[in-house]
Amino acid sequence: MSHSTTPDFRTEQPLTRWILTAIALAFVFIFIALPLFLIFSEAISKGFEFYQATIMHSDAMAAISLTLLTAAIAVPLNVVFGACAAWAITHFKFRGKSFLITLIDLPFSVSPVVAGLMYLLLFGSQSTLGTWLIEHDYKIIFAVPGIVIATTFVTFPFVARELIPLMQAQGSDEEHAAMVLGANGFQAFLKVTLPKIKWGLLYGIILTNARAMGEFGAVSVISGHIRGATNTIPLHVEILYNEFNITGAFVCASVLALLAIATLVIKTIIEWRQNKLVARSLARTKSAQTVFAMPARQVATAS
Amino acid sequence: MSIEVQNISKKFAGFTALDNINLDIHSGELLALLGPSGCGKTTLLRIIAGLEKADSGKIIFNGQDSTDTHVSKRQIGFVFQHYALFRHMTVFDNIAFGLNVKPRKDRPSQEAIREKVMALLKMVQLDWLANAYPSQLSGGQRQRIALARSLAVEPQVLLLDEPFGALDAKVRKDLRRWLRQLHDDINLTSIFVTHDQEEALEVSDRVVVMNHGKIEQVGSPDEIYDTPASPFVTQFLGDVNLFHGRIQDKHFTSGDFRHEISQHSAHFTGAEAIAYIRPHDIEISLDATNALGHGQIEHIHSIGPIVRVEIARDGQDENIEVVLTKERYRSLGLMPGDSVYVKARKVAVFDPASV
Repeated sequence: MSHSTTPDFRTEQPLTRWILTAIALAFVFIFIALPLFLIFSEAISKGFEFYQATIMHSDAMAAISLTLLTAAIAVPLNVVFGACAAWAITHFKFRGKSFLITLIDLPFSVSPVVAGLMYLLLFGSQSTLGTWLIEHDYKIIFAVPGIVIATTFVTFPFVARELIPLMQAQGSDEEHAAMVLGANGFQAFLKVTLPKIKWGLLYGIILTNARAMGEFGAVSVISGHIRGATNTIPLHVEILYNEFNITGAFVCASVLALLAIATLVIKTIIEWRQNKLVARSLARTKSAQTVFAMPARQVATAS
Repeated sequence: MSIEVQNISKKFAGFTALDNINLDIHSGELLALLGPSGCGKTTLLRIIAGLEKADSGKIIFNGQDSTDTHVSKRQIGFVFQHYALFRHMTVFDNIAFGLNVKPRKDRPSQEAIREKVMALLKMVQLDWLANAYPSQLSGGQRQRIALARSLAVEPQVLLLDEPFGALDAKVRKDLRRWLRQLHDDINLTSIFVTHDQEEALEVSDRVVVMNHGKIEQVGSPDEIYDTPASPFVTQFLGDVNLFHGRIQDKHFTSGDFRHEISQHSAHFTGAEAIAYIRPHDIEISLDATNALGHGQIEHIHSIGPIVRVEIARDGQDENIEVVLTKERYRSLGLMPGDSVYVKARKVAVFDPASV
């Protein structure tokens, strides 16, 4: 199997091949593997007990649970928003479509600190909305809702950006076919569109999740750095670092790295299982084709 | 089911795709929409299907106004140009789709669905591919699966967009005969879009020739071919030689030559006229009686059973193309350089202003 799928490298000089591979490997090692290794080695440098104690500290636990909570809200919100936006942009013609596409990119082009500041002004006591919120005792800034809003803003483009080119390339013929066959819009999305875009969607979710857990700038501005209440893991890492608790900072950083690695592992497992399913069906059809090849050919000549 | 298309117009960003189209489609007929690309034929098909919305006009199904009926409620079968099979589903699931999305109360049992899908697969002679994915099928197989899928919901109308466009010549011929057979066997109303005149003439009961968003002519394949209503139809249906001349009391004259024309082939009585003559409607002769032109043979190409002769006309830039049977060619004993007369067996004469 692997023989047939491996591309033919004989056109490349062995030296070129060797140099290109070496550059790629060296880059990955220096910029990704080495720092990752350093995080974990530094984190356990004061022993496992220190590691455990740092994590079990109430402030750290609060930061971890707040980070997970933020991601748990921001990711589903952006999946829904992103899928809706991508569907609307690729399937409908409407006025202001290119404006919408530009707006989707805004969170990428605006500095996260500016984004945080923007919400601070919008919901803070300087604005009418902020005054109203304070009067009615709704806490947005320096509280969990503010953190979730800022995170959602910063991570908004990932899912939509991933889906729009994919859906544009795939066209809407299959959705139209589903509707001609009697499916309503929801059925067409669920049974036809979703399976087509699931890998793009999964990749968008992973990027969104990684950014939601790791976001610093916007959250830093709007959270108010209240220990044990409005600190996410990245903010907690900074606090520990500023207190010269370097090892503690690395311990918390390693938690963040572990969460990222866990996401990637889950993605790999899903992909692997999917490939196995497809391979099994391919094998089944192939055997069916060899068994029935003879009568089928006879039918073709007879008709 | 009969379909009436009433005053349908459609514009795309300033470009007129359909200009006030009126068409009656009879119940049970196989109708071809024929025309060059960009003539609006696919747009008309998609408007009948409900995949596109007309700017104005009505679509009537069986006497009922269906202009605003959603595509999913029109009970039509639609075969897309590139088949649009669901790539993540097996062939079986593709065909079962229309049955599986029915509301629970109308949905057949899984047993019944299975039976129906297998019966359809047998009908298209591909039952051994039930577990395959679309990417594993050849073009012809995909086409037949797309047909089976559209027939699973028992539509009253079958619409096909360039159904054979993406297939190679041999498969195309087999499939179009098979489609004709299928249409007669299951007795539904079918409309298909094509730019291939041979396909339209061979398969359909009636042909609608379209150009620039308008219908040029509607008629049986023989009517369309034998009595084309316009220069466009004449030229679109096959190669044709043009003779410029004048009409004078039931005669078409071109230079020194005269050709008697019967009343019906003259669509007007005026001074200037163009005669359209197909290559196989021209006779090569050595005597001048009733001839339409004179020239010298430039090339002779033998193509299987026929021979194509190119004649350089006296005082004209354009060559005359003549198609002969091999027997006729041998009996005439033609050679390049021979001086010959050409006579028309059949001509269509039009006003040059209408070209």
